[in-house]
Amino acid sequence: MPLKFTLNGNQVSLEGVPGEATLLEVLRQRLDMLGAKEGCGVGECGACTVLLDGKAVDSCLTAAWQAAGREVTTVEGLAQGDELHPMQKGFADTGAVQCGFCTPGMILTALDLVEQAPEPSEQQIRRAMSGNLCRCTGYHDVVRGVRRGAKYLRGEGEEQ
Amino acid sequence: MSRFLTPASLPEALDALAQPGAKVLAGGTDLMISLRQARMNGDELPELLVDITRLPELQRLELEGPGCYLGAGLTFRFLDENPDARQRVPVLSQAASMVGSMQVRQTGTIGGNVANGSPAADGMSALVALDAVAEIASREGVRHCPLSELITAPNKTTLTSGELILGYAITPPPAPAGQVFLKVGRRHEVAVSRLNLAACLDRDLSDPRVVLGSCFPSPRRLVDVEELIKGGKPGPELWQAAGEMAAGHFTYVCGWRSSATYKVPAITRITARALQRAWAGLEARS
Repeated sequence: MPLKFTLNGNQVSLEGVPGEATLLEVLRQRLDMLGAKEGCGVGECGACTVLLDGKAVDSCLTAAWQAAGREVTTVEGLAQGDELHPMQKGFADTGAVQCGFCTPGMILTALDLVEQAPEPSEQQIRRAMSGNLCRCTGYHDVVRGVRRGAKYLRGEGEEQ
Repeated sequence: MSRFLTPASLPEALDALAQPGAKVLAGGTDLMISLRQARMNGDELPELLVDITRLPELQRLELEGPGCYLGAGLTFRFLDENPDARQRVPVLSQAASMVGSMQVRQTGTIGGNVANGSPAADGMSALVALDAVAEIASREGVRHCPLSELITAPNKTTLTSGELILGYAITPPPAPAGQVFLKVGRRHEVAVSRLNLAACLDRDLSDPRVVLGSCFPSPRRLVDVEELIKGGKPGPELWQAAGEMAAGHFTYVCGWRSSATYKVPAITRITARALQRAWAGLEARS
């Protein structure tokens, strides 16, 4: 039986996916979606975060079959052509990205947060992002990035 | 290679679990890590993974009236955010809010948390404080088991293959009650408990609950401490005495091991603080 789910708005159907395969492996190895990263592989770092029906999950801890019939969103699904998603723009405009390895996971976690709290406080941001580790830099600019992205999503201007 | 089944009904799930080599997937946040380990070591994988997370029977939430019940499929994120849970079983909501990260809370369930049997499981301590009795089903029928008897040793339970936790009948303390969960970890968020403590106090101190977790094979109610509180006068001295007694219980059970130098004062403080906060929460409601 093929594994079917929606990936960034498109139906995918895969044959021969073993039960133990993680969603992360299937995304990266079968579907060539390299945005989600494997950092730790055990749910500590959040680099593999994707949205499953709009909610952030660690794709390294999710069996691929758990996604059956559901909607998976990876960072590749956010931009519209050349137009970055407002949260991506927020991260870019605040310099919240250094090497970029953790960024896709961070952006997706941030999207789950702002869905619940369109105007998140610093404390809400820090708590929500605590499962996404960055080893390049501090988290100061990440907090600004999420706040800026949330602002863009609310349609409130692009001033610096 | 494991097969994967998403049963559409509870009977189908129980039939599947009765097959040899079947394993429950109740969220996956622990299971997928152990499968990863097994794959890296070349160990045998389960024959069949049974994903029970879509079964409606496991999503029950009843918090009014005498028959309070929590389905085993409820996730930590749900219990952290649900207004009824926050109102009626704050000790569990608070514990849920401190489990792992937002991503882990999204999929991790209170069924998996207990079945995995980790001595550091935050959900367990809160459930023990709520006097949870697990409802466990298999193809042969249903049995009930108090949580304190379900875990026999670290990562060991009395669950046999073919059995599935459906949920927990709980008995919250008489309302209004102050309920507090505190934990000590290596960092504030995304940390495994070094110690955790669930405390519930009712206004008459007739049914206090004090559960210490993460330093015994499984979380346990400190019955001596509860007796002390029952006869006492609420206030800082009583909370401090309760904390000292809790720490004494720890050294009695576990011996004076190297970590005791740290754990004894930490248990004393966390117990006293949780009781003080539970009482303050109760006062604030009156």
